[in-house]
Amino acid sequence: MEENFTIKWISQLKKGTLSFLVLSVLRDGKEYYGYDLINAIKNKTSIDIAEGTLYPLMNRLKKENLVISKWVEQESGIPRKYYTITALGKTTTAEMKNYWDNLNTTIHSI
Amino acid sequence: MIFKEIDFKENNSKRIYQDYVLRVKKATKILSKQNQQEILLEINSHIYESLNHTLENSKGEVERLLDSLEKLGLPEIFLKPLVAEKKMDEATRTFNPVMVAKAVALNIGNGISYVFFAIFYLLLFGFIFLIVSKIADPENVGFFYRSGKIFILGYYRDKEVNHNDYEQLGNWFIPLMLVLTLLFYILITVLLRVKKSLK
Repeated sequence: MEENFTIKWISQLKKGTLSFLVLSVLRDGKEYYGYDLINAIKNKTSIDIAEGTLYPLMNRLKKENLVISKWVEQESGIPRKYYTITALGKTTTAEMKNYWDNLNTTIHSI
Repeated sequence: MIFKEIDFKENNSKRIYQDYVLRVKKATKILSKQNQQEILLEINSHIYESLNHTLENSKGEVERLLDSLEKLGLPEIFLKPLVAEKKMDEATRTFNPVMVAKAVALNIGNGISYVFFAIFYLLLFGFIFLIVSKIADPENVGFFYRSGKIFILGYYRDKEVNHNDYEQLGNWFIPLMLVLTLLFYILITVLLRVKKSLK
């Protein structure tokens, strides 16, 4: 029962922090395509994310003007869609990080 | 951008891949051609990159493809929120009531507000239904009202009752239903846009 609750909680936490993770990876200003971004998250955080969930999230971030995207043709004939963080995205990530740090401090102080 | 199929050496890989592409197309067919293409290109790119990054000698082409598709997930499930959101964008850009109704239906699971939108839409289509019903059965369809006794907007039939004693609108029933339909339609569209801008 308790273990089940923890699993659900971890799943919700991962879901809730995915946008923060994506924006944090993009914050370096580099352009990333979908698969590249997933790999970067996996390498930097060792968090295994459900790959398909990235695309609805990227659409939402784009709608909120936190990222922009562009298609780039490839020699293979299969184009890549590259995402870049916007200035608003960088500010938002900084705010999120600030909140996260405060939350972390609070949790540790309990 | 043009969609290009990924080349496979093995026939079985090709069959699995084509089946997956077909499922992506099916999951997005409610969207505009442009949005369908956009999603298909991105998923295709993901599969291609994933295959190219997992060049493991121990695994065959079919196994690598199956691994990639498994990690990506079932298109009917992971594309659901994306399709619902894109459909809502398409619907709020146009004034097409059928599109808005479809978008509201797709988004019902995305919040309680969409349940209210669905109820508003049900009322809207109810008014249209009443207009058609009034034409088909003018005597028994209308607004029947008598203080403390009866309050019916719709169909009412009772052999012992003279409908003229209760029906309040007469020839004004259809124009009023038309006005209500229009008002509800404007209300839903404006509320959807307000909701979108608040987001």
